[in-house]
Amino acid sequence: MLIVLASLLTIGILVFILSVRAKDLPQEPPVSPFAHLDERKASIYENLRDLQFEYRVGKMSDEDYQPAKQDLQKELAQVLAGIDKLKQELGAGVKSVAPAAKRAAKPICPHCGAQFEKVMKFCGECGKKMEAAR
Amino acid sequence: MENLGSLAVLLAFCLAVYAVIGSVVGRLRRNPFLIVSAERAVYSVWLLITVAAGVLVHALLTSDFRFAYVAQTSNRAMSQSYKFAAWWGGQEGSLLFWSWLLSCYAAVAVWTNRKKVRDAMPYTVAILMTTQTFFLILNAFVVSPFQMLAEDGSIVAVTDGMGLNPLLQYPLMRIHPPILYLGYVGMVVPFAFAIGALITRQPGDRWIHVTRRWSLITWLFQGMGVLLGAAWAYAALGWGGYWAWDPVENASLLPWLSSTAFLHSVMMQEKKGMMKVWNAVLVSASFFLCIFGTLLTRSGIVSSVHAFAQSPIGNYFVAFLAVGVAATTYLILDRLDFLKSESQLESVVSRESSFLFNNLILLASCFAVLWGTLFPVISEYITGEKISLDAPWYNRLMIPIGLFLLFLTGVGPLFAWRRTSLESLRRNFLIPGIAGLLLTAAFFAAGMRNFYALISFGFCLFVALTVVGEFYKGSRAISQKNQMSFARAVVELTHRNTRRYGGYLVHMGIVLMFVGFTGAAFNQDKTAEVKIGDAFQLGHYTLKVREITDGDNENYTWQHAKIDVFKNGEQLDTLEPERQYYKASKQPIGRVDIRRRINEDLYVNFASMGSDESKAVIQAYIFPLVNWIWFGAKVVLFGTLICLIPSKVKLQYARTEVVGIAKKNVPVEA
Repeated sequence: MLIVLASLLTIGILVFILSVRAKDLPQEPPVSPFAHLDERKASIYENLRDLQFEYRVGKMSDEDYQPAKQDLQKELAQVLAGIDKLKQELGAGVKSVAPAAKRAAKPICPHCGAQFEKVMKFCGECGKKMEAAR
Repeated sequence: MENLGSLAVLLAFCLAVYAVIGSVVGRLRRNPFLIVSAERAVYSVWLLITVAAGVLVHALLTSDFRFAYVAQTSNRAMSQSYKFAAWWGGQEGSLLFWSWLLSCYAAVAVWTNRKKVRDAMPYTVAILMTTQTFFLILNAFVVSPFQMLAEDGSIVAVTDGMGLNPLLQYPLMRIHPPILYLGYVGMVVPFAFAIGALITRQPGDRWIHVTRRWSLITWLFQGMGVLLGAAWAYAALGWGGYWAWDPVENASLLPWLSSTAFLHSVMMQEKKGMMKVWNAVLVSASFFLCIFGTLLTRSGIVSSVHAFAQSPIGNYFVAFLAVGVAATTYLILDRLDFLKSESQLESVVSRESSFLFNNLILLASCFAVLWGTLFPVISEYITGEKISLDAPWYNRLMIPIGLFLLFLTGVGPLFAWRRTSLESLRRNFLIPGIAGLLLTAAFFAAGMRNFYALISFGFCLFVALTVVGEFYKGSRAISQKNQMSFARAVVELTHRNTRRYGGYLVHMGIVLMFVGFTGAAFNQDKTAEVKIGDAFQLGHYTLKVREITDGDNENYTWQHAKIDVFKNGEQLDTLEPERQYYKASKQPIGRVDIRRRINEDLYVNFASMGSDESKAVIQAYIFPLVNWIWFGAKVVLFGTLICLIPSKVKLQYARTEVVGIAKKNVPVEA
């Protein structure tokens, strides 16, 4: 009995590990090339919000608040400029290489035919599941 | 059955090795099939170790004394819950428990992140499974829990086992080791993700976002594990204290110190893009200190009152640590350009510098404890003589460090980012600072002369007021702006930034614990040899022995004392300490009785029978404020749970994010 159980366990596991099919491969949602800059931008916005709140509750003097705010705004401008620069660089490359492919990649709802810019789980038009549209 | 356990461990070992090789080769050759196959091996390792653990637990619960491990750590008279707890009560079982928890963590981490960080995931899997492989080597080849008792080549069973160490047969012991282990083992996940990000040079702080909750939960488990250990030592060991700077206690404290530093400096990386090298170092140090802690507890390289299991597994740990630390150091040094800071420290009086100081102090304390713990080994190596550093050495060093940390806990949130002007300092420090000074002065005037206690109480009030001030100022602003009640504004404020205000609550818990630690400066104790009817004085209490009875049950024989407690002639209570002698393990142990009050505990231990058999040796202690520690721990737990709730602002942000635009508006169907 135990031998049968152990054999079944071993065979089951080996089959599970070795039989990876193409549809089992995880599809990572596309990561934007600006992701790290967007993260930075969000964190600067959060810092600005915190700063403003601390100033409003009276924790900071004007003398501290103004330069800190200006510094953060400068930092934000740099990040935004970085995003623009990256967009230009990427835009030039992407446009020349595959504008048609990009258009074709737009997801279309299989139920009502609505077209979207981004991959979505549910259709924004009819509300039905859009998994098949991928 | 035992063969099934051994086979499962052996197969798990093979699959763990496969997962390491498969994920690395899959990543290098860009073969997603191999990578997914390696990830499936991680789940399979979990299944197999669960089967192995199931076999062992079944043997323990059914008292199958053919198993050497069951015979060593269990006996028939033990209750089922202690039989289950015997899983981690001995060397072989506890290492299998480590392996099993690691496999659970690895499976959950891989499953929940299977669609994220795909680029770095193979390396993360490789790190997780390398650690797993190491523990499975121990489980399979060095200290197998599936060894059977044999005589003349055939398996035999003893009639009854030796039983679990009596010190471990205590209710807290059922949860202290698992909680601490959850903290120890959990550190591998942030470490594995950090190393994955380092190897693949991921831009941004994605690994930090992915592991934020893991780090926090792990830290919580470590902290709670340490405190449950302290509570157990206090109530079960009968030595009259919760902390003795014992190597095993230190081992549990070390990773907590470094991961506390990590939790703080990680905020600097997220907010300011600073301290990246620190974070890489701290997350690695925390992980290796967890392994080091296991080494100390399990190998017996330093003698300890509760190094319960000793065996020659130390060399394996040392080898794993040496290779791991060397490889990690090389990797960090090689990636220094990638870890470059995005901002500079502008002023010493700023939030940034307080974070830096906090890190330095935590690391200094970590190093001091590590040095003290390893000193016997180092001194033996150099001079040939084993010199242990005792509690006063640690107290001399750690009390000032602890007080400085407490001070920084209060100061940090009051500093502004970048730089703080004198005007801001005055606004924020005036009330808490003066209140702290006044309290110190008042205690001094009342006759308190203990320097550290005076400073500590002053700092505690200072920090408590800064925390209250943060909540008060923020809530007042919200309640005025949104016309809501103050109580609702407090909830709203906390919900808007759960991490910050949960963090402040954790700080408040730490303050309460420091009040409790400070109480130790005023401990009193007395040991008396008394017979029935005798009384003795301790502080303002009079203790009178009313009766001493004895008896026995299946598991142990006992002697039970009833001691009446009087104060100013009025009877307050009756304490009933007991002395037990465990039959299976032939070990005596004292079961203390404690009268717990918010201001002080009266703690009575029935140490032994005296030279004259009619007399009992009673140790009595007064521990002022000790309950504040346990209460503070609950506040820390509550604060950490608040930190784990997502902030409201972020929730709103996520919900209102535009993800696609429909051609026309349509009514939402119900």
